[in-house]
Amino acid sequence: MKGFGILLNYSVRRVRTLVLTMSVILGVFQVFLIVIAKSLQSTHAFEQIGALMPPFVREVMGPSFATFMSFGGMVTLGYFHLAVMGSLVGLMIALATLSTSEIEVGFMDLILSRPLARHRLLTRTVAIILLATMISLGMMILGTWVGLRTLAPRDVEWPSAHLIGSLALNLALLMLCWGAVALVIGSSVRRRAVAGGITGVLALTTFLLDYIARSWKPAESIAWISPFRYYSPLDLLMGLPLSSRNVVVLVGIALLGFGLSYLLFSRRDISH
Amino acid sequence: MNSPGNSRSAISIRGLTKRYGKLSAVKNLSLEVEPGEIFGFLGLNGAGKTTTIRILLDLLRPTRGQAFVLGCDCQTQGLEARSQIGYLPGEMGMFLDMNGQEVLRFLAGLERREVDPRYRQELQERLKLPDHDLNRRLREYSTGMKRKLGLIQAFQSDAPLLILDEPTEGLDPLMQESFYELLADVQKRGRTVFMSSHVLSEVERTCRRVALLRKGELALLSTVEEIGRLAPRRVRIFFSQEVNVHPEFPTGCQVMEMRPQEWCLRVEGMLGDLVNVLQGLPIKDLEVEEPRIEDVLMKYYREEVV
Repeated sequence: MKGFGILLNYSVRRVRTLVLTMSVILGVFQVFLIVIAKSLQSTHAFEQIGALMPPFVREVMGPSFATFMSFGGMVTLGYFHLAVMGSLVGLMIALATLSTSEIEVGFMDLILSRPLARHRLLTRTVAIILLATMISLGMMILGTWVGLRTLAPRDVEWPSAHLIGSLALNLALLMLCWGAVALVIGSSVRRRAVAGGITGVLALTTFLLDYIARSWKPAESIAWISPFRYYSPLDLLMGLPLSSRNVVVLVGIALLGFGLSYLLFSRRDISH
Repeated sequence: MNSPGNSRSAISIRGLTKRYGKLSAVKNLSLEVEPGEIFGFLGLNGAGKTTTIRILLDLLRPTRGQAFVLGCDCQTQGLEARSQIGYLPGEMGMFLDMNGQEVLRFLAGLERREVDPRYRQELQERLKLPDHDLNRRLREYSTGMKRKLGLIQAFQSDAPLLILDEPTEGLDPLMQESFYELLADVQKRGRTVFMSSHVLSEVERTCRRVALLRKGELALLSTVEEIGRLAPRRVRIFFSQEVNVHPEFPTGCQVMEMRPQEWCLRVEGMLGDLVNVLQGLPIKDLEVEEPRIEDVLMKYYREEVV
């Protein structure tokens, strides 16, 4: 265990700047959204923006549209904003391909020439993914809480803690899912850019598939393959509970991905 | 079924083959390295040296065959095998934002055996890499400094077996000298050294035995002494007066130059037969150059290129 502790410590030091910077930015982004929501609320602009929205946006958002066009709705946007989701998926890809970068640079040769089992390297990566997920979402929740406490107008209804918690949990599962996908790909290739590129393209494709399927019926038949289908913030906004099906699918993909990575990494040749 | 390695060997390689698709990087390689010896592993680029070394470290998985380190199967008992190895890779792949101290501390922490700080300090002094250099970021290191750092991390745990891939690549002549002294010292303390090298004079100086790989196959396995015996020697014969006879030279003798008062021959093997032929001639002086194993090894290299 001594070796693993040292490996984990070294790995945390390698990624800490990235994780902390990203987490702080996302936390500040939540505060920024509350500033915008407060401004819109004070100028009664939600109704005007709602009226300007094209019909297809209303169709995509369905009944959650009305809820979204409110102070509380705007505050929760920070948990499903495209930039936030993209950043978090990117963070997961960067962390999950840590071993791949060590192979590419050649540092893995020095690590694995020591009496350290290969599976410990993946356990280290999984631990870092979990830690980064907790830190980044923790900072987002902290940002929301601080923003609401200090900036929210007195006469508006805050989004419930349960809603924020459910959104964060669903987003965390989505992050773990993409972390696992990146880990599987990273365990099979030699170049970090290749692993990151493949995972990134896969994430973008499945995101677009899910997005298109929400307004274009023919795409719905294959939209189930998209992990984004199992992240449904608008349902949560409508007051529905976190779907157990979504949880099972995302956790399932994550577990399957992590398991497959262990298998692939234990069998692969380490060459750069 | 796994058969246990020769427990008396430091390294035991049996029928090792590594294929990448249709390309065979190593073909049916078998060799034994005895404990306490310095063993040279030679071959041109792409001959399969590094592939073999990487299999010993379980970084690569063999297509066929087995490799053992001090009796431990490198695959099935990889942790035990690697706990007895100090390894210097051919290229030191490191993150340039780390400093030397961090690299050494991190790698020492992954070892099972404790690193003696006094021994590490001694290595630093011998290789001229003081603490203030170790505290610098690796991006500021020269090629030679990186090599020194590589040597320190390989030697610092004082492992029973050292696997060194091109150890003197990038070292200046003074540091090479320090490295040879270090090798001699570790050998005195019973450590085994398995090193690949392109520098034939280095191999001649430091190794007791060598193996030469050619296109993944073992082309030569011998002691340096034996190779020296196989090596052709240049013999110069000076006569006190002009000699115009053309004797029939024994097998292994090749005339390089023939002047009335001086002959130059290239002789493979013993000189006895040549001396018999020269009897009766007015010999003034005889000059025999020391055999160089480079000449023998270069012959193998050239055959590979052809």
